[in-house]
Amino acid sequence: MSGWSRLTTLLRSRRRAAERDMQDELEALRAIAGPRELGNLTIAAENARETWTVLWLARLVQDVRYALRSIRRNLAFTALAVLSLALGIGANTAIYSFTESILLRSLPVADPASLVVMKWRGGRDSLVHAKGITFSTSGTRVEADGARIYTQFPFPALEIFQRNTDVLSSAFCYFVDARLNVTASDETETLKGHYVSGDYFRGMGIAPAAGRLIAGDDDRPGAEIVVVLSHRFSRTRFGTIDRSVGQTIRVNNRPAVVIGVAPAGFFGAEPGYVPDVYLPIRTKALLDSSTNESYYYNEPGYYWIEVMGRLKPGVERPRAEAVLAPQFREFLNTLAPENQRRDLGQLRIEDGAGGLDSLRLRYQKPVYVLLGMVALILLIACANVANLLLARGVARRREIAVRLSIGASRVRIIRQFLTESLLLSSTAGALGVAFAWWGIRLLTLMLANGRENFTLHAELNANVLIVTVLVSLLTGVLFGLAPAFQATRADVLPALKDARIGTPVDAGRRRWGRIGLSGALVVAQIALSLVLVVAAGLFGNTLSNLQAIELGFDRERVLLFSIKPTAAGYPDAALNRLYLDVRDRLRGTPGVQAVSLSPRPLPSGGGTMIVVREAATPPAPSEQRGINAGIFSVGPEFFTTMRIPLKAGREFTDRDVSGTAPVAMVNEKLARLLNLPNPIGSRIRVPRSDTLEIVGVVGDALFMRLKDELPPMVYLPYLQGGAQGLMTFEIRAAADPASLGQTVRQIVRQMDSRLAVFDVKTQTMHVDQAISQEIALARLCTAFAALALVIACVGLYGTVAFNVTRRTGEIGIRMALGAQRSRILWLFLRNVLALEVLGLLVGIPIVLAGSRFVASLMYGVRPNDPLPIVVAVMVLLAAGLAASYVPARRASSIDPIAAVRCE
Amino acid sequence: MEPLHGLLDMLVLRSLVLGPLHGYGIAKSIRDRSHDALDIEFGSLYPALKRLELKGWVSSKWEMSEHNRRAKFYRLTAAGKQQLHREHSQWRDFASAIARVMRPAPEEPS
Repeated sequence: MSGWSRLTTLLRSRRRAAERDMQDELEALRAIAGPRELGNLTIAAENARETWTVLWLARLVQDVRYALRSIRRNLAFTALAVLSLALGIGANTAIYSFTESILLRSLPVADPASLVVMKWRGGRDSLVHAKGITFSTSGTRVEADGARIYTQFPFPALEIFQRNTDVLSSAFCYFVDARLNVTASDETETLKGHYVSGDYFRGMGIAPAAGRLIAGDDDRPGAEIVVVLSHRFSRTRFGTIDRSVGQTIRVNNRPAVVIGVAPAGFFGAEPGYVPDVYLPIRTKALLDSSTNESYYYNEPGYYWIEVMGRLKPGVERPRAEAVLAPQFREFLNTLAPENQRRDLGQLRIEDGAGGLDSLRLRYQKPVYVLLGMVALILLIACANVANLLLARGVARRREIAVRLSIGASRVRIIRQFLTESLLLSSTAGALGVAFAWWGIRLLTLMLANGRENFTLHAELNANVLIVTVLVSLLTGVLFGLAPAFQATRADVLPALKDARIGTPVDAGRRRWGRIGLSGALVVAQIALSLVLVVAAGLFGNTLSNLQAIELGFDRERVLLFSIKPTAAGYPDAALNRLYLDVRDRLRGTPGVQAVSLSPRPLPSGGGTMIVVREAATPPAPSEQRGINAGIFSVGPEFFTTMRIPLKAGREFTDRDVSGTAPVAMVNEKLARLLNLPNPIGSRIRVPRSDTLEIVGVVGDALFMRLKDELPPMVYLPYLQGGAQGLMTFEIRAAADPASLGQTVRQIVRQMDSRLAVFDVKTQTMHVDQAISQEIALARLCTAFAALALVIACVGLYGTVAFNVTRRTGEIGIRMALGAQRSRILWLFLRNVLALEVLGLLVGIPIVLAGSRFVASLMYGVRPNDPLPIVVAVMVLLAAGLAASYVPARRASSIDPIAAVRCE
Repeated sequence: MEPLHGLLDMLVLRSLVLGPLHGYGIAKSIRDRSHDALDIEFGSLYPALKRLELKGWVSSKWEMSEHNRRAKFYRLTAAGKQQLHREHSQWRDFASAIARVMRPAPEEPS
């Protein structure tokens, strides 16, 4: 924005200076001439001004027409130039729009600078010891010293921030629920929502687009359920925003009155995550039966809400932290439960202008890497077009020399060149926006990778488009300026005499300069392409390493889906019956080999680690070392379904239900760590539970995250524990699992039409979603590298082809004098080879420096691995030679008689 | 009397052949050399001057006038000289063509 205004200001001030000069001149003349001799000076000035404008416009029209004419004459050239630029600009726009939506956008609220986000610093396992772990979009940040920065707080802690009105003018909290079942105008969908505290909208400082927003009174126990809709949702569902106010919709099967609509640009507190409904946080207990009211709102050891606040005017963040941190510490000191005492948190207040930075943390690095890559592509495209224009400039030397000699000014000719290149670049810019529009959709699809509740949204908004326009103009000037100067520097006389045979008179120094510039551009292109090709190799290796990770189970031919019966109004007591009914119905379906269930699929993304001890007799407590192990509850026949090998004992059955003796299964790693040579029948102790008898041992398998080492695991029979409101089913199919999707939906609908089936996907897809970022990076890098390669090859081809045309006469003479065809071929290839080698030599240090930067995005790849570099060098050499072989070959097959006669 | 349309540029360029002049000086020079036959309105002369400047045929500079007053002086550029040459020869061709057409008519028999 500021760039544009600066430009207009500059133009305006230039025009003002010209105006002042004219007024001075006329004033001076009035003093020299007699009083009436000059007549009406105002009219003179007015006419002069008009002249200026008319002439300026006339020249512009002239330049544009000239440019269009020369473009028409070289349609193929123009098409190539515009296409390569458009791809470059499109890629930049698409990636920039992601950058903008994730990294740069401030919350669209009043005075974002005074917003703050509350966090706390704790040890590595602080939240493991906290009783609850929430699966919100928030991210935990790891500090350099290994400490973690957490964003969740227990609900009672909110009061600390609310009561300190001397430093915070307001404090509010929210909780993200990405799976709300919303029924409006007879249509049910799963939507993203925020549960917000009463002060949320007042604290954000936004005004409703219609109706009113949630206020303090709506957020108290026992209040009627009210809901605020996003602008988008109320428009798509009710037509106009005003019509939605006062309607009753159903949220998780409970009626809720729409009291208002949030303003259009508002997207909550997390950039990229756009909620469609806002509900008072107290109503979570009513809408979600898995919410234990007294526990959620009163337990000081349960961390689940995100807290934000607004600084009072004049209060700086350090002061607020100095006031609030001791109070938070005091809160923990008096109220934290026993198991959290070891590691009490330290309050941190961070800048909240950009909202919560979880998405930023997750995507920052890859986005910067991609931004760097597309910038390189644009540079390559620019170098390409500059080189092609340069070649054409040389071809047009005669024309330019003629025009210079009949009195055209150099500035005028440079202006014409620039008009032409700006015309090219703005056409490319317009086309690039279209490419970007596709690119953004493609990229979103790639990153979401089939996830239904994917949260990232990028768009082509005004900010992005302004940047695109500036980038297009900049590229136009960048690739237009050098050839323009080059072309107008030509001395008039030799150029006029110059025929196609070359320039024997000035073949020395000046020709070196000319080849130097175009050669330098080729070298730069090769160097930059090398960077991209190596990057593609590194990310490709990372991806194949990730895909080769041993999971411990068979991911093929398994279909997953989830249901959330609590959202359809099922009471806890009915859940397990329903789950087993669904399983039995699925089991009887043709094509299904086995069915099991677990509260979450593997890898679970998050979960609980516990300390396991052997409950041996007699225990010697001091010697007993606990083992940190993952804990996961699974349904009957889980291991058969997932094909996790049973090593000893038996697996869980329908008979392992509550009331029977508590049992567990362990994996081999845990058995080994606990030093149990004969685990079957041994007993282990886990926190908050009786001792458990081990009934089976299974092979090691993945738990939370793909990149983790396979952890020691305790498996509990799901049917022995408490009922879960959300359940995932695993179906092992005889053939293609995806074909069962429709059957599954049908079966569940037949059982209860209120039950929404969601997250239907194959196990392979689910695993891939865990590495969707790496998949996207690898695919994009490969695409970018291919693009860079193509653009650079086009450039190389064009340069060589042009040189061949320019030197046709020379070649003819050489051949007439007996030069072999292979020598002519070699003459051109040698040139290309020299430039390529030079480019590779320049590129390799850049690659080595750059690969260190992306090391943290790699998996199982050494950043300085020579192999990808060697492969990339070979690829580039081969591609470059292939691109230049065609025109060089043409040179060697020139008919010498025809070539010489041409002169 | 106003010069024919399109000839004003040529007259202005011509008046600068002998040396730089300011805007009023140009008007006066044309008037004097035509023995007061051509009296060009300053309101048309000044925009023409500016147009010539934008086309690069004349350049301007603040200087001191003969009466020690500051004024903007215009001088011919190289391109301006060529332009004057071109316009002058065109004009000569044109004028002689007109002259041939308008040769004194043979006496009509009375």
